[in-house]
Amino acid sequence: MTKSLNIFLLLISLSLHGNDYSQADFDLYPFDTQEKEDLFYSLLNELRCPKCQSSNLAGSNSPISNDLKREVFKLVESGKTAEEVKTYLVQRYGNFIIYNPPIEPQTYVLWFGPFLLFCIAFLGVFLLRRNLSK
Amino acid sequence: MKKTLDLIPLIIFLALILVLFTFLSGREDQLESVLVDKSFPEFSLTSLSDESSFKSKKDISELPALVNVWATWCIACRVEHPFLMKLKENSTIKIYGLNYKDDRIKALDLLERDGNPFEFSIYDFEGRLAIDLGVYGAPETFFIDKEGIVRERHVGVVDEKVWQEKFAQYLDD
Repeated sequence: MTKSLNIFLLLISLSLHGNDYSQADFDLYPFDTQEKEDLFYSLLNELRCPKCQSSNLAGSNSPISNDLKREVFKLVESGKTAEEVKTYLVQRYGNFIIYNPPIEPQTYVLWFGPFLLFCIAFLGVFLLRRNLSK
Repeated sequence: MKKTLDLIPLIIFLALILVLFTFLSGREDQLESVLVDKSFPEFSLTSLSDESSFKSKKDISELPALVNVWATWCIACRVEHPFLMKLKENSTIKIYGLNYKDDRIKALDLLERDGNPFEFSIYDFEGRLAIDLGVYGAPETFFIDKEGIVRERHVGVVDEKVWQEKFAQYLDD
């Protein structure tokens, strides 16, 4: 029992250390105000790494992600808003780069597909139940 | 009536397979190309062969042209290299290189050894112009028309097949 508890605690401390390293990585970006720094972190979480595709910029250390982080840093430091930074990147990488793409014909499937599937499933269950009760 | 109702889930399932198949297959991991039909971005970066000489958009002067993103660390670029050499010999189109996040010496050695298909290469160590181009890997190839507008972009190796499918059409007219 104590043994498994020890292993558990070890795993927890290891995972916490993992966070320390990523924090240390962020210290490469010195901001002059706390607001800009907060904006920078939130943007890194909302922007997607174009190379790895299933990871955001914050979670990626690929060369392209580091270039983009440096670019976002420069933009935020120069006083750009979140919207402006996103527009800047979308103009270069397309809607793919943001995890929260705008609602337009190209993204209809993405936004409404799940609801459509839900409606189909709901209708299916409804029809099935009606047939069974007959 | 009941028989057709029973078939509905199967039909929906087949439709779903068809939709996913068409959307997910064939496109590999290519991102949309926002730059197509837009003007090639401005830049000011040094030339690969001479770090004191700056290149800008107006140096890409012989249009139409290809801009090819390459690096020595990029294995697929080595695969692509012979085809670019062939284009240089057999086609009128000029090729400009964008050396991407690379080591200057290594890059020049490679061109020395395997041949240089480029009019010149832009040296983009920080990936600055690459971000403006929306580059996310190498090799990538852009076709710029006579007016300096990007008409086509290909991510991955350009070979005879890709050339015929994507680029050759622009040279006919």
